[in-house]
Order: sequence, then structure tokens, then C-alpha cells
Amino acid sequence: MDEFQTGEETTFIVDDVSTIIKESVEAAIGGNTYQHSRVNQWTTNVVEQCLSQLSKLGKPFKYIVTCIIMQKNGAGLQTASSCFWDNSTDGSCTVRWENKSMYCIVSVFGLAI
Amino acid sequence: MNSQTLPLSQETLAQFNHDQVVDGPQRLRRASVSTRRSSRDHSKDAFPSRPAALLLRRLSDASHLSPAVSYPASPFQRRDSVFFAKRLSVGAWAHGGRVSFSGLLLPQPVQEVRMENTYRMGPDPGSMFSAKQTQQILQATLDSYLDGARYSQNTCGQVSQILADLARSKIKDTCPPRYKLVCQVVIGQSGDQSLTLASRGLLDSATDDFAVATFQNGSLFTVAIVYGTYYE
Repeated sequence: MDEFQTGEETTFIVDDVSTIIKESVEAAIGGNTYQHSRVNQWTTNVVEQCLSQLSKLGKPFKYIVTCIIMQKNGAGLQTASSCFWDNSTDGSCTVRWENKSMYCIVSVFGLAI
Repeated sequence: MNSQTLPLSQETLAQFNHDQVVDGPQRLRRASVSTRRSSRDHSKDAFPSRPAALLLRRLSDASHLSPAVSYPASPFQRRDSVFFAKRLSVGAWAHGGRVSFSGLLLPQPVQEVRMENTYRMGPDPGSMFSAKQTQQILQATLDSYLDGARYSQNTCGQVSQILADLARSKIKDTCPPRYKLVCQVVIGQSGDQSLTLASRGLLDSATDDFAVATFQNGSLFTVAIVYGTYYE
């Protein structure tokens, strides 16, 4: 009933998560050009890889991963998020990645159990 | 002429000597105060003498306290220290803080809030996060806020933040207790580009859920996602 893990174990560490996201994105869509037929597969791959790496961290957290892949055509995009959580234990991390043909924005939210 | 003034000066001298004997120190004090008043304009010249003037004034005010007037050095210092000590202790008590024996403030210990165990394993049967209800609220919020809006690079960043906060506060009012919310809003310009948005969560399927709402018009499109997770 008492918490066996306190302190550092139960806080969201942004740097580790950011590294995981960058690696997942590179692995899934590293050198590819935007193709409408393959985008669905790519987003699924990015999100699933992120999630599996995050669950391997072994922390008592619930994760939400969102991935946006957009073709580079001169249009603008804005994202915002608002969260109702415990500031001391929960956190989020957003990574913006791009290559010549597309943008990829990945957001990870970690909520302590 | 000099000879005529001599007797007068002698008289005044005698008077002066007489006065000196009777109330010499006081006479001296008054003289010193008056001179220091006049010399107040020359601040740098009179600086070393000003504290002495203040000390002397205090002594004259509270002369009944100390009979020893002939030794000016020690009474002044003693009285000053008494004044200062009295001021310190009065201040500490007045603030309502705890005071040690020496009169210094004791630091109050920070009181930690201790949470009791609720012995709850899951949410109550009737109060789970309702995806359908949340989706309706989210869709209504988007439709009402963005009706007739146009995409603008300068303002849409703020609009997305406002929308996210608005959606979160509305859903917080209706969602059951012990639920954490994550609300994300994406606003994009309707151009010739193609876009795919994917979202996945590592959640507890029995208690947690999510809702999605989209809005589109000629110049922009919006996607809003809300996740509700149970806080064990």
C-alpha cells in the first residue's frame, strides 16, 4: 500500500524521453520522401516504437504519444495542449523533426499512476 | 576705549565663571546642542559630532534614569544598547512568531501535508470517463469557437492555446473525480498539403479513454484530442 518507489523514480524526465522520440522518428522515416500511400504506416510505426521504448523504461507511468506528419507545401500549422495533472510528477515532451519533404511533430505526455 | 570696556568684560567673566560652577555641564550641553543645530547645514563638518549630539539629547531627556553625569562615555553606550535590545524583542513578539530566550526569531518548521490511504482500487461503477459525452462537448466547443474563423499565422498559435484551455476547463467540469486530462489541439492551414495525425496511448483500457473532434472550413482545419486517465 505504501509507495515503494518515491523521488526520482516517479518523475517525468524530459531528456530521456526526448532521446527516445528522436531515435524512433529516425528509425521509422529517416531518409524517406513524403508519399501519401505510406504515411499511415509511418505514423503508426513512429508511435508504436515510441511507446515500446517508453514502456521499457519501466516507470509507473501512463503514456500518450501523438505524431503529426505534414507534407512541406508552405502551409502553416499550430499545435497547443492543455493538461490537468500533477505538476510535480507528470510532464510532456514535444520534438519537431523535418527533412526536405515533410515535417514530423511528436508529443509525448507522461502521467504518473 | 579699551579701558572703558575692561570692567564690563571682567564682570561678564565673573558671571560666566559663576555660571560654570553652578550648572556647568548643562550649560555645556545646551551650548553644544545649539552649535550643532547651526552646524547641521555643513553636513560633512559636523558628522562626527552628530551622534554625540543625539546621545546628549537622549541623556537630557532621560536624565532622571542615570545619576552619573560626570562620566559621559559609559552611560551613553549603556543606554543605547538597552534601547536597541528593547526594540528587537518587541518586534519579534509583535510579528506573532516564536522567540527564543535571547530574543531572536525561531524558524517555523515547514509542515508537510500527510495524505491518508483511500483503499480504492478503481473508479466507482457509475463514474467512469465517458468518451461519448466528452466527444460531444469537444465538438460543440470547436464548432462554436471556430465558426467563420480564418487561418492567420500571427493569431492561430494563441487561438489553439485558448481552445485547449477552454476544452480542458469544460471537460473538467463534467468529468468524474480522480481523472487526469490531457487535451491537445492542432490547427492547420487548408492548403495543398497532405497531413496525417496519429495518436496512441499506453493506458489502462478498463478505466481510461479518449475523445477526438475535428472541424474544417475553407481556410483552416482543427483536430482536438482529449485523453482521460484514472489516477490510482
